Amino acid sequence: MTIKVLICDDSSFARKQLERALPEELKAKLFFASDGHEGISLIKEHNIDVVFLDLTMPNLDGYGVLELLKKDNIQPTIIITSADIQPGAHDRVNKLGVAGFIKKPFDDDSVKTMLLEIGILKGG
Amino acid sequence: MATQNISLSLEQRDCYQEIANVAMGQAADRLARLLDAYILLPVPKVSLMEFSDLHMAIADCLSDENIFTVCQGFAGSGISGEVLLFFNDVSFDELANLLGYQHNEDEAVKHELVLDAASVLTGSCLQGFGDQLAIRFIQSPPIIITNDNQNDTVIKKNSTLWKKTLTIAFNYSLEQLSIDCDVLLIFSESSVAQLHKKIDYLLD
Repeated sequence: MTIKVLICDDSSFARKQLERALPEELKAKLFFASDGHEGISLIKEHNIDVVFLDLTMPNLDGYGVLELLKKDNIQPTIIITSADIQPGAHDRVNKLGVAGFIKKPFDDDSVKTMLLEIGILKGG
Repeated sequence: MATQNISLSLEQRDCYQEIANVAMGQAADRLARLLDAYILLPVPKVSLMEFSDLHMAIADCLSDENIFTVCQGFAGSGISGEVLLFFNDVSFDELANLLGYQHNEDEAVKHELVLDAASVLTGSCLQGFGDQLAIRFIQSPPIIITNDNQNDTVIKKNSTLWKKTLTIAFNYSLEQLSIDCDVLLIFSESSVAQLHKKIDYLLD
């Protein structure tokens, strides 16, 4: 089954890095957004299944996206990809209901491991 | 030394910004654990800065008695530069508390506090930046800049040679504590080509 995956990050370099880190087995249609507002409209318009969400972005940041999604009761699987790796950042997003947290820069396997962990990718 | 023509493509700027972002995140994480506080992380700004603008910014800060300006040189793998830190409205009580000093009104102790904080900030952000580009930076000791010694800074020494260079601006602000510091990473003009090469390799 093909799933719809959104990569929401203000950096094109980071978006490219993440795209490269996605495992081959993942059959996904990819969408890209460069800030929170763009991300929200893509999520609504295309019924996105999985969102890789950066926290530090201009205009509307990752926290803002999480809050708006919660308010509108839209619940895609959210994986935070962030350079903000402070314990406080984890606590904050966990309260806002995310499936996982991947720290930047991405290790070779961190994306695949996370997708397996939360059941987006089936092991075998 | 001839002035080089320094350029910065959109792609390069984006890549520098992302690397700076990650470096700052790592730095903030170390600080947050050290100080048991949450540090706000705005997006770092990467730009080619004219030296005249740089001088003006420094002069502005030196004329404001509420700002402590600290500078610290760094070098590694043929890349060198200077970090300028502008501490805005420092609360010495808070800083002393955080760094585990006895509270003291003594001017020398205040300077020591600012220099300690500067070293931690510079060290942690340079390390994160260097790690991603496989550069090991060595730092010189930080000094507080005043109107009397500002000619010692690399920027001043090279003010007739350099026209513009690559800078990355960060802001560290500690939530719930009155600590706010602007950090400016300035690469020497002659380092930019080498640095660009490393960035282009990542973009490839």
